[in-house]
Amino acid sequence: MDKSIAIQAKNISKTFTIQEDSHNTVKHRLFNIFNPPRTKKVEALKMMSFEIKKGECVGLIGRNGCGKSTLTRLLAGVYPTDSGYIEINGSTLLLNLGVGMSHELTARENVYVSASVLGMKIKDIDLIFDKIISFAELEEFVDTKIKFFSSGMVARLGFSIAVNAGADIMFLDEIFAVGDMIFQEKAVKVFESSWIEGKTVIMVSHTMDVISKYCQRSAYMKNGRLEFFGDTQKAIEMYMIDNHMEVPAPPAPVVEPEVDAAAGSGAAAADADAAAAEPEV
Amino acid sequence: MLKLIRDWVVRSNKSERLWLLAKIEFKLRYYENKLGLFWALLKPIMDICIYYVAFKVILKSDIPHFASYLFIALILWNFFIESTAGTIQILNTKKYLYQYSNMNKLEIYVSTLFANSIGFYFNILMFLVFYNLVETQFEGMSWYNLWIIPLFLNLFILSLGISLILSTIYIVAKDISQVWAVFTSFLFFLSPIFYKLETFSNALPGFMYANPISGILVNARYVMLFNSPPDFKLLWFDLLYALLFLMVGLIFLNKLGAKAAEKL
Repeated sequence: MDKSIAIQAKNISKTFTIQEDSHNTVKHRLFNIFNPPRTKKVEALKMMSFEIKKGECVGLIGRNGCGKSTLTRLLAGVYPTDSGYIEINGSTLLLNLGVGMSHELTARENVYVSASVLGMKIKDIDLIFDKIISFAELEEFVDTKIKFFSSGMVARLGFSIAVNAGADIMFLDEIFAVGDMIFQEKAVKVFESSWIEGKTVIMVSHTMDVISKYCQRSAYMKNGRLEFFGDTQKAIEMYMIDNHMEVPAPPAPVVEPEVDAAAGSGAAAADADAAAAEPEV
Repeated sequence: MLKLIRDWVVRSNKSERLWLLAKIEFKLRYYENKLGLFWALLKPIMDICIYYVAFKVILKSDIPHFASYLFIALILWNFFIESTAGTIQILNTKKYLYQYSNMNKLEIYVSTLFANSIGFYFNILMFLVFYNLVETQFEGMSWYNLWIIPLFLNLFILSLGISLILSTIYIVAKDISQVWAVFTSFLFFLSPIFYKLETFSNALPGFMYANPISGILVNARYVMLFNSPPDFKLLWFDLLYALLFLMVGLIFLNKLGAKAAEKL
């Protein structure tokens, strides 16, 4: 694989299968062998291919439910793809109001675990530990379990770990919405300094100013389809035009034929399910 | 599969991370409650008391040095249960580790089993104290005792394989934990834990080979109590079982475990 490419996605797609009645126990499965669960398929991502180069900052925009979060999870290697393949060159980090932290652990343990998962050595974590804690403004709560933290404190800690430990490829999902005004200013400052230098960043945001300021290229998504990938201004334009148009009816979920009659009774409910099925920012 | 192994070997801070996760897991388990590490020491003693009363006092079992006989088998059995039944929900409780990055899930299992191994280490120390100072009718320690290390390794691989299988099935069938609970109590009574070895092998001929854990228990007694080498035929058999389970487990992890983030 070309060394200058961070992520290569070829013909990827993702369809979620949602079971209407839960058959997730052995008993249920045994008693319903001849009565398979009614399933509904939601095409979260339709066939797409693209490449992201190392060191690029790419924007990802689109309306709620268009598949942005699903795409970031696929690219980060958290979800498997249904078709095609994704080559990921490096460690990944999904930053979505805090990195993965266990509420049962203290701030100190979480810093060590998260930074280690991101590929750092213990002795390197020792060096940046104080920096992480002071950036998160949590000096007094180092050995407190984070289940006792406020949500803002948890988010600040997560952001601080991400800033100081980092990963080769980072997916930043509305990161400037963390913390109070002062912390946000700090976040912007660190973002504009050397943090993302040399790193690959995929930024999801609904704030067009942020996208146009930092991203060289952007992807615009609509209904699970990659409509455009290229110049940021063009992507934003397309997104704006779409926003100002009459709101089109949401696409009907793809329902398996044999259950059509049964599911048909609750078309509205099905639509709501479809929207809920897809985790969104 | 190849990618899994390559990823495992190439990344450099893996061993460090495994140890870090194991230490934290061990601490969470024992230092969080009031009894602390004391509980880890107390539990095997209490188990032994129960079975001792039941089999020695009431049923008048004629096995000599019954307490030591039970002790070594029970601590191995407890490790097996903690590492299988105790890890069924591991992909759920440790979700925070793999949901935000492309961390290899196998590390989560290995680190948890390492944490259990620390507990086992304390148990075996206690066993040595008991066997050398309390129930002293045996011949004492010998070089054969070192065979416990490969035997434990065998148990570790077996437990890891079964843990992988159970916890990935949990993604699609939540009540696997109840099924496994019933199955293990079945296995418990069909393993030579408190029976005399001859009684067991006469009653169920060949079962020693059908049950993947009984050989480990029998061999552990050979090397720890009777100062003799292990039964090598059994040893190879059990190792084969363990590797087979591990292979199936890894396949399950790759097929089912990949969906953990979206299904759980």
